[in-house]
Amino acid sequence: MNRQDDNTLIEERELLDLMKDYPMPEATTGFYDEALVTAAEEGRRRQKRRWLMTGFGSAVAAGLAIFVVALTLSGTPDVPAVDDAIPGVTIALAEPRTVNLVFSSAEALDSAMLTVSLPAGVELEGFPGQSEVTWETSLAEGRNLLPLKLVAVAPIGGELLARLEHDDRNRTFRLQVNVG
Amino acid sequence: MQEDSQVFDRIVRPHFDRLYRLAWRLAGAREEAEDLFQEVLIKAFGKLDQLLRIEEPGSWLARMMYNLFVDRHRRYSRQRLVVVDEGQAPGGSVLEFAGDENPERDSQRMEQLQALENALSQLSEEHRIVVILHDTDGYKLEEIQDLMGVPVGTVKSRLHRARARLRQILTDSGTFSR
Repeated sequence: MNRQDDNTLIEERELLDLMKDYPMPEATTGFYDEALVTAAEEGRRRQKRRWLMTGFGSAVAAGLAIFVVALTLSGTPDVPAVDDAIPGVTIALAEPRTVNLVFSSAEALDSAMLTVSLPAGVELEGFPGQSEVTWETSLAEGRNLLPLKLVAVAPIGGELLARLEHDDRNRTFRLQVNVG
Repeated sequence: MQEDSQVFDRIVRPHFDRLYRLAWRLAGAREEAEDLFQEVLIKAFGKLDQLLRIEEPGSWLARMMYNLFVDRHRRYSRQRLVVVDEGQAPGGSVLEFAGDENPERDSQRMEQLQALENALSQLSEEHRIVVILHDTDGYKLEEIQDLMGVPVGTVKSRLHRARARLRQILTDSGTFSR
């Protein structure tokens, strides 16, 4: 064994000793109990929301929403399929407008990820300055409504993309947003 | 409903300390770690029926946490700004070093640990996680393989490379003297 090997071994040992002393984080008192309570409450709330989504029809506010139905079932029971045609809406500058996207799913999907990419000059109400918003959602079997409250902050517009992902599958919904 | 909570508590609580540490190792800061921990519990509660049938709930929960972390990290990396309070940053954890009542030695050890922390922060995320889980938290190679979903050979390779890089950084910084 040469000097180089000796050094390597010594350093390896020093490193392992040091790694063993690397601090172990510990939860603050009461955190676990609070986390359990929140898990039960939020878990139940999400289950209820999933159930409510199956009855979304009655929640569509008449006259307020632009209703964009873009999805049909494909043969594969995975992520909802989308229509190839690109629907369009026109919104007025600085006037919030709800656009409802409807996803039809062949089966209930848990933990799907939805990403909305906005065109220039258009924002989601409540998310100022963000051109992309991602969140987790669950889809019930059948039609699911996604209301998006859009606000035009500049007279630009363009294509809005709503990308739904579940496991390694995905579908992208396109909507032309014009600012009039 | 109350019964669900009690059953859930009984199954998951024994794994809390290990899960909490994993969340820290993945997220690197308390706020994000606790958020990750919480989200895993919420998801797990929604899958209580499945959880009841799992033989090793600890591994199942850990995998769920890792997958959620990777998923979040990939999706939010472009847009998320992480706000870390002073003392909660990864470097802050070194301040918790207990010491052995020898001020000089403690001080030297503290410096070494801070150098280690700095070195760890220079590793890729995959290497950092593997070396901390294995060398600090005592995970077996197979447990890391199961957690990360990569072959054990990949875990070994990451561990080897991570250690080599750490040695190099710590030697270059004078922490390890030849």
